[in-house]
Formats: sequence, structure tokens, C-alpha cells
Amino acid sequence: MAETTGDNSIQTRDVGDAAIIYASDYLNKLTGERIERECRRQFDSGRRALIINFRDTELVNSIGVSILVGLIDAAEQNTARLIFSDVNSHTATLFEMLGLTRHVSVAANEDEALSWISADEPIA
Amino acid sequence: MNQPRILSRINQDEFFGRAAEVSDIVRQSSAFPDARTLVLMTTPDAGASELLRHAYDELFRRRGELVPIHFAFRRSDGSAVETARRFFHTLLQQYVAYRRVNPALCKETLTFYDLLEVALPGDYELITNLIEGFHREEAAEKDLIDFCLSLPNRLLAEGRTVYPLIDCTKMGPFQEDMVTPQLLLTELSQAELPFVVAGLRRQANKLIHGVDDREWAAKATLHVDHLSESSAQALVESLARRYGIELNQTTRDLIVQQLNASPLFITEFMRAARGGQTSLTSYLSCQRLYVDELLGGSIKRHFDRILQTIAPAAQTNRTLMRVLYESAMSDTGKASLWTWKKRLGLAAPEFEHVIDALHIYELVNSTAAFIEVNSGSHVWMDYLRAHYRVEVEAEPRAKVVAETLLEALKRAPQTMNLKYRREAAVGLPRLLPQFNCQSLPASLFHYDRFAAAYKGENAAAIDNGLDAETDLIQLPQVIQTAACAFYASNIEGDRERCVVAHAFESAEYTDENQVVWIAAEIESKLEASRELTEEWYERMATFARESGFARYRIWLIAPEGFSQPAATLLREREAFGSSRQQVQLIAARLRAESKVEKPKADEYEMTIPMGDDSELIAASTVEKIARRVNFKPEAVNQIKTALVEACINAAEHSLSPDRKIYQRFVVEDDRLVVIVASRGVLPAQLAGENGQGVSAGQNGGKGRRGWGLKLIKTLMDEVEFEHVDAGTQLKMTKYIR
Repeated sequence: MAETTGDNSIQTRDVGDAAIIYASDYLNKLTGERIERECRRQFDSGRRALIINFRDTELVNSIGVSILVGLIDAAEQNTARLIFSDVNSHTATLFEMLGLTRHVSVAANEDEALSWISADEPIA
Repeated sequence: MNQPRILSRINQDEFFGRAAEVSDIVRQSSAFPDARTLVLMTTPDAGASELLRHAYDELFRRRGELVPIHFAFRRSDGSAVETARRFFHTLLQQYVAYRRVNPALCKETLTFYDLLEVALPGDYELITNLIEGFHREEAAEKDLIDFCLSLPNRLLAEGRTVYPLIDCTKMGPFQEDMVTPQLLLTELSQAELPFVVAGLRRQANKLIHGVDDREWAAKATLHVDHLSESSAQALVESLARRYGIELNQTTRDLIVQQLNASPLFITEFMRAARGGQTSLTSYLSCQRLYVDELLGGSIKRHFDRILQTIAPAAQTNRTLMRVLYESAMSDTGKASLWTWKKRLGLAAPEFEHVIDALHIYELVNSTAAFIEVNSGSHVWMDYLRAHYRVEVEAEPRAKVVAETLLEALKRAPQTMNLKYRREAAVGLPRLLPQFNCQSLPASLFHYDRFAAAYKGENAAAIDNGLDAETDLIQLPQVIQTAACAFYASNIEGDRERCVVAHAFESAEYTDENQVVWIAAEIESKLEASRELTEEWYERMATFARESGFARYRIWLIAPEGFSQPAATLLREREAFGSSRQQVQLIAARLRAESKVEKPKADEYEMTIPMGDDSELIAASTVEKIARRVNFKPEAVNQIKTALVEACINAAEHSLSPDRKIYQRFVVEDDRLVVIVASRGVLPAQLAGENGQGVSAGQNGGKGRRGWGLKLIKTLMDEVEFEHVDAGTQLKMTKYIR
């Protein structure tokens, strides 16, 4: 397992074929775009399983959410698996309110997310 | 929506604080015949003329059976016959305009021939006959006057009822100026017509009493004073928006205080600011404009005109200015009639004329023996001081301007302090009259007992405890209250904070039951000390003795109550002592409609720059406020998210020129109201957002952006998006559950 810090301080971790990307405490336009860039970089490098971990995220705004929607689209287009994990209850409610949860799996924690990915192997 | 103006000069949405009065006037047209006459008694410069014009517009729009007629006597009215002619013409023209449902006709210049041309066919014969009658009576002045002033009666005889609104507030101040108005009022009162007459409050009685009519007693009275503080503030803000004048809340309040909430002065002042493109964002800019207005602008012209009317001769005018100034500056501010007469050097009838007029315009208060210059009006006193120096003392104008400005600037913070202190006062003048022989728990008047029983308890426990108390104090029936300062000029403090209440200890009005309550608010950040309490007690006791009060009760109020030694002192002296909290409980129990009954909501304000994640600072602030008022964590997060979205909306959509977001957080008993405002324009895509149903994730959650407002509506209980002249404002409410 490797832990790296990508450009502009985004924290990522590779676990097998999956990559875990750590969202920051405030998901807004800037931090959302950082996640987006990192995800796209991962897709471009052939990664087909991504977990976005929201353990540090306390506040999310609608611009940040709209970027996540774009990522969900991008994952679909790349036939990649995208899972959100460690979402706090307020953010989870917000995601549900905005309909995101219908298009993305939300795991309680990284382990659960990784187990879902393992169960799906191999990704086509 | 603004209705088009007919006679009014101010748009409906800028005519603040007079809705009730307009309704009363409109209602009067149907109150007939209970009290046919409505008398408006107005303070000078309170905007009663505009009130009548607005009432006229409203009546015109309502299309009632009675035809509204508005007529204003003027200071410049010439002979009686000219005024009568004008009345006849005005009435006929407004009658035709109303019947034609054509408001524009009210203001056009129309000859009798024109009126006949535009009259309804059904009115043609009537109007022709009236105009012929007018020409027939022209040969004899008196007959013509009688004919013109009896026009409402003549119309009534033809089955056409009018509703005259007669404005006498601008007529001259002298007895002879009242002759024609009194003739008209006599005509109106003899007809079976409802009507309204407005006059300066010190002149209206003379006007009415000069009218020969037995039924005159059947009248209702409406008092028109200066605007309330909130209405005056709204007026200043509205004019500032309309004229594009920069303003802040502090300067707004200063303008209101300094101009005594007079709609006339406020409007003129704001017009002057527009004329000079003056930004009113500091005390200096406000006071500079004020001094300009005082020495060469509308304020000067206003008082010049009045003094010129009262004393047209140059020498008398100067002497009058000197006597007014010197009286005002004397220790007591008043002098005997005899002194005034001697110093003015006028013959008795002329002297009475002058004094009557000064009294009517409320520049002085005149009684049978004394004349006191009205020092209650800052504007009048400032005018008097400045013009005395320029015109009587012939001091260099530049020096007077500079020194007046310096004084005005020094006074500004004091004026505001006085306002803040007044607002912070517990409202004794309104509380004491509510006593009304009711019984209340004694602990509410003894701080030490209250503190021992209830300190640290919650509101419900205190209420329960008070309900269970058996030691009660029977309060007196208060007959009259007045500020202590009205009794003794050496009593410090403003008028809200030190009050004398004459009362009876029970409803039996006997000498034995007579008592005077003297209530005073003490300033002390902590529990008042024994020294401070003793000092105040002695001051009040001396005041009571010097005022000759045989039996009195002293009640001291300190915000945080009294220290134990102070409470002991009060008990020894048989005085009462309460904290602010106790006074609030007293007010609540008396159901007093004073401000203490419902404390003002807590309010926080902050301004953040747009961008750089500044919404996080706002979110963190609102989080702290929400936690303080016991919102649940989930609700706190919802409020934070809603505020973040509101800030983003403001930053993204408002095209704000100053790139700032203004926020107010108002904590009320059961809710938190968050107001987010920004200057700039309301984008078309947001203009119709109010009232839209909330449907989160309408597009399956895969849309891009535009979720902000929907989110806010989902997260908060009430959301209002408003377009205000200065920009946009989002008001979000969350209830505490």
C-alpha cells in the first residue's frame, strides 16, 4: 500500500488496484476541482477503482457537489468503480437530498469500500 | 406596487408610518353620520398636508359613493374672494375629474369652459348651472364668497355628496387668516356632510371654536405627530436609495435624531444631499450638510419664512430674533410676558399677534404669564443660535459656519448616546401606568430576596416560584407619570430613566391613599454598591422633599441588581430595588405593553468579502450563534450549509460593486433568522425563485449547479428572496425545535 500526496496537497493512497483520495475539510469549488483532477489523472493512468474518503469533510457546498456529479459521470464513461466512504451524517443527507446516492455507492468506511471492490474483481 | 400619484407628492412606497391615519380618513367617509367631522391636529412639520393628499388619492382610487375633494388654504392666500373663487374652481374640477375617472384632470389648468367640455353628459346641466350662478354672483363680493363656499351644499341639494378634506395647516397664523376657513367650515358643518379638517394643533382649537355650529361637538380627533423612529429610519433609507446616496445605519440614525423624525426636514435634507452629491457615511459629512442647510438651505428658508410671516418688518424681526435667542440662552429658558413685551417694544395687539404666532408654530410655549423658547427641537435651536450670530451680532459668516459645524460634530456622539440609552431603558413611563392596583410577588421589588430564591434558575422555574409566592405587594393606581426632569432641572439622566408617578394606593381617592412613586434607573455594570445606591436614594429623597411630596415610595432599578449591603440599605429606608430581570418579569405580569415585556431580539451583524472561502467565517459564526440558542447539531449543520450556499449565491450572482456580503443573524424566542444581502443586481434566473416548490435532485442528481437556492429551501424552514433597490437580500428562518 502506498500513500502519496498529489499536486496541490491532495492526499491519496493506493491499495492494490484501487486508489483512495482524501477530500479536505471543506468541499468547495477549489477542493472539488483538486479531487476531480486527481480522479481524472487516475482514470487516465488506467485505474478502474476509486474511493473518495470524506473522513475529514465537515462542510460541503453545492459547487463541490456538482463537481462530484461530474466525477460520477466520468467514472461511468471510464467504466470505473467510484465509491464514497466515511461520509458524515450531514453530508450523507445532503448527498441523498441532491440525488447523488442513486448514482454512487456510499460505504461506511474504507474497508467496506475495498471489500466491495474486491468482490467486483475483475473490473471489465 | 406603487399606484400612480394624483395629488400626493411622495410615492406610496415612500410614504412611511401613516397607513393607519390614511385608513382613518378613508373610513371617516363612511362613519357618517356618527361623527361627521374628523379633526386632524398636527404638530408642525409632521407631514399632515401630504397625509391628506394621500388620503385623497386613496379615496379617488376606491371609487366610493362620495366624491373626495381636497382643498388647502395657503399662507399666501390673498383676499377672501380670491380664496373662495379658488375653492369653487378646485372643487368643480376635482368633481369632474372624479366623475370622469380621470385623475389627470385634477392637476390640469382648466377653465370653466374646459370643465364643461370634459364633464360627463349627466353632469353637464348641473355644472352649467353652477358656473352660471358663479358669474351671476360676481357682481357682489360677499354674495360670491357665500356662493363659492356653499358649493358642497349646493351639490348635496342636487343629490351629489362630496367628502371635503380641508387642509388648514399652511394658512397664516393670525386671527384674520382664519376668517375664510371658518366661513367654509361653518358651511360644511351646517350641511349633512362628513368632512375632514387638518390644522396645526395649537391653531385647530381656535379654528374650530370660531365655527358657529351646534353639531360641532360630534367630531372625532386624530393626532398627527412626527414619524416614529422606525418610520423615519425607513424614510431616510428609502430616499437614500432613490437618490443614490451612500448611507450607513449610524448616520441614518443621526439624521433621524437630529431632525426630530420630521418627514419635512428629512426629505429636504436628503434632497440637499442628492443636489450636492453628498455621501452620508460619516458624522462629518452629515453635519457639514446639516450646517449648510441651517445657514443657507431649506432649513433656513423654512424658519425664515415663518419668522418673516410673524414679524415682517426688518427691525421687529431682528429684535424678535434677539429676544428669542436671549430667552433661550437664559438659565431657565423662559421669561415673563411682561419682559418680552418690554423688550420687543410692540403695542399690545401686535405683541399678542407675534406671541400667538410663535406659539402656534411651536417655536415658543406661551402661557398666561410666561414665554418659554421651545428647546426640544434641535433644528429650531440650531437655527436660532446660528442666525442670531450672523444677523443680529453680525459675526463673520465663515466663523459661524465653522463653529456651528464644530458644535454639531461634538454633539453627534452625544445625540446618539442619548438614543442608545433611551432604547436600553426599561420603559418606566409606560410601565408604571400599568400598575393599576394589581398585586405582584414582593420578591420582584426586593432584589436580595429574588436573588436568593431564583438566581441561576431557568425561566419556567422562576415563573412557577413567583406564582407560588404568598407575600404580595399591592401596587398603586398610577394617575399620571412624568419625567423627574420636568419637576426639577437639576435631576440628571434622561426622561425615560427617572420618573415620577402620582398615584393612589387603592381605588379610593382620598388624601390618605395618595402617594408618589419615584422610580429611577441606576447605571452599574455589576450589582449596585451600597455607596451608589445610597447616593441615588438620597438624591431621590431630596427631590421628593423639595417637590413637596407628602408620601412617597422610591424604587431603584439597577441592571444587575444590588449588592447585599445595598439591598439592606434599601430595606432600612423602606425603598424598593429591582434588577432589570425583575422589571421584565414585572412587566410581563402586568401585561404591560412596554418594550420590557418582550426584550428586543438579539442581533448580530457581520460583513465578509466575497471569495477566498470567506463563507467559512460566516458559517463558523452562525454555528456559534446557533449552538448558543440550543439548536440540535443536525440543525446547526443545516443552517451552516444554507448560509454557505447563500454566500455563494451572493458572490456568484449579484454583480456586486463592493464585493461584500452583509449578514445579520437575528435570534428570536423560537427562531434564528439569517439575512444575507449584497449590493448589485438580481439576475433574471433568480427573480422568480420565491415560492417555488423544493425538489432536491429533481434531475436525478446529475445536473450541474443551480442547486444552491433549492438546497437552502430544503435546509431552512422559511426562505424569502427579495429584490431591494440597493441589491438582493435572502432571508432564511430556522425554528428551534
